[in-house]
Formats: sequence, C-alpha cells, structure tokens
Amino acid sequence: MTEGSFPNLEALPRGPLTMALMVQLEPPPLRRLLKKGLRRGLSTAELRQCLDADWGLALESESASSLLKALQDRRWFISSADADVWKTHLGS
Amino acid sequence: MTQIIAVHSFRGGTGKSNLTANLAASLGLQGKRVAVFDTDLASPGVHVLFGYTHEGESLCLNDFLQEDAAIKDCVHEVTPAPVKAAKGHVFLAPASMDSDRIARLLREGYQVEKLNDAIFALADALSLDYVIVDTHPGINEETLLSAAIADYLVMVMRPDSQDYLGTAVAIEVAQRLDVANIQLVMNKLPSQFSRDEVRLRMQESYEVSIGSILPLSEDLLTLASGGLAVLEFPNHTWSTAVRELAQALLEASPSA
Repeated sequence: MTEGSFPNLEALPRGPLTMALMVQLEPPPLRRLLKKGLRRGLSTAELRQCLDADWGLALESESASSLLKALQDRRWFISSADADVWKTHLGS
Repeated sequence: MTQIIAVHSFRGGTGKSNLTANLAASLGLQGKRVAVFDTDLASPGVHVLFGYTHEGESLCLNDFLQEDAAIKDCVHEVTPAPVKAAKGHVFLAPASMDSDRIARLLREGYQVEKLNDAIFALADALSLDYVIVDTHPGINEETLLSAAIADYLVMVMRPDSQDYLGTAVAIEVAQRLDVANIQLVMNKLPSQFSRDEVRLRMQESYEVSIGSILPLSEDLLTLASGGLAVLEFPNHTWSTAVRELAQALLEASPSA
C-alpha cells in the first residue's frame, strides 16, 4: 500500500455523504471507490479488483474490512443483502 | 452498454440545451436509441427544441423525483421524423415548467441519488444506447452527480473571460471525480475571432480534449429554439460540427 493512499478512518466525517463532500474527500482512491459505487454499484468481484488496484488490499484483509466497516457505519457504501452489489449511498 | 453523456457549462447562456438536443438528434440519425434528461430543473428548456408541450396529466421528471412516479411514465418519445426514418429514437424526461412546481423543487429539494437510479433504470427499460443529461449551469449536487456517473462530460463555454475562469473550476472538480473523457466545446464563436487562436488558448488553459469549436450563427438565432439545427439546417457549419462531435462520441463508445 502506498503511504498516504489509505484514508484516516477516524478522521472521516460522520454525516451523510453528498457529492460536495465526495469531491473534498481524501485520498483520491477513496473518492474513486465511492464514485465507482455510483451508477449500478459494484459487484463483489469488482470491489475486490478496486481494492487491489488502488491499495493492494485483499477483500478479506483487516485493512479492507476496517475501511468497508467505516463506510458502512456511515451509510456511504452499502452492500445489498439480496444482490451481489455494493452501492454508494447519497444523503441520509 | 448504455453510455452516459453529461452536457454541462459553468455559466448559463452557452447553448448547452441546444447542443444537448442536437447531439441527441445526431445520434438518433445514426439509428441510436437516446434519452435526454432535463436536470436543469430550475430553468428547464430543452423540451422546447423537441417541440414537446406538457399536456394535462402527462408526467415529468419532477413527478419521479418528488412524487415517486415510475420513471418510465415520466419519459416521452419525441423522435423527429428524419430520426424515425433512420430507425433512431429520442426520448425526453422533461422538467416541469410550472412555476409552483419549480419553486417547490427548489424549496424542498429531492434525493439526488434518485436521479442516478432513474437513469440506469430507464436505460434498461428502453434499451438505450445513450442517455444525455442536460445539467443546470454551475456546480451543485445534481451536476456533480451527473459528471461523476458520465462516460463523457461535454463542457460547453463561450469565448468569454468569465467562461474561461468558470470552466477551469468545473474541469478541476470533474478531474477530482476522475471523469475520464472530458470534451470541451466552444460555442457561439463570433466570425471575427480566429479559430486557431481560440483553439490554442483552450489548449493552454485546459489539459482536456477539444471536442468542437462551433460558430455563432445567425441561422440558429433565427431558429430561436423552434427546431433542431441538425435537421433544419443540415449543411450548416454548426450542424456539421455537431454531427462530427456525435460521430466522435459514437466511435469512442465501446459497444453502443
């Protein structure tokens, strides 16, 4: 993982995700992940590829789990229970 | 796979809606199935170019965004005859022209995520090749979303110092969102301007592709949004350049 490319999860804002907030988020791979989760969302295979390409992380790794938990806790990036899709959620 | 084209400008009056409608018709003339979303909800207008008038009970984009109507019921076919003859289709998701509804939308807002879901639901329902999003000028939640989900962002500007500055801001934001394919279009270029000098200034100001440089046209002014230039004046320089831009987008699309 490139130093500085992984977000400081504690420092991520707690409020709902807006496009204005997404534009301001750092580092760029985090914006990229959330952007990819728009449109039709990401399948688990696509999420796996994205985590690997940007952070060199396996989906099952501790860092990836922490990241996804932080995003899910904020309801910014949500996995669907009935479909294999991870989707970025805007608003409350 | 449906390709999303967002047509945006930082300032109003660039001819964004005109370009949107003519791009849609140009792609339709190539036999493509195209839908236009009028997300300029505060000042809608693209419907006029298609000769669409709101009748009685017919639904519009506002009904989907604020009333939970099904998106397919808020979309209307506006295919012009020459496009139909070319086996193309143009659909329109118009925004309400009712002042009370515009005021309500501005007052209450809506879940911007619904716009994302509507575009892709409609793409599937109508087997669309292209969705063109006519955005509100400037930067707000809808325009940021439109840029983020777009396969192509067409940025429209005029040869005006305020436009040069504003467009730089919009491009910087789009680049933060990793918008891969930004096409810059200079519109309404007066004949006394040197195209080469303008092109050079655009190249020096922004590190993005220059999609087209379109002339200020007396003929288009005469048309006064009462029709589509690519159909009414097919041999005009402006129309030829728009068709070339559509062709370039078509050739860049993976499988549309």
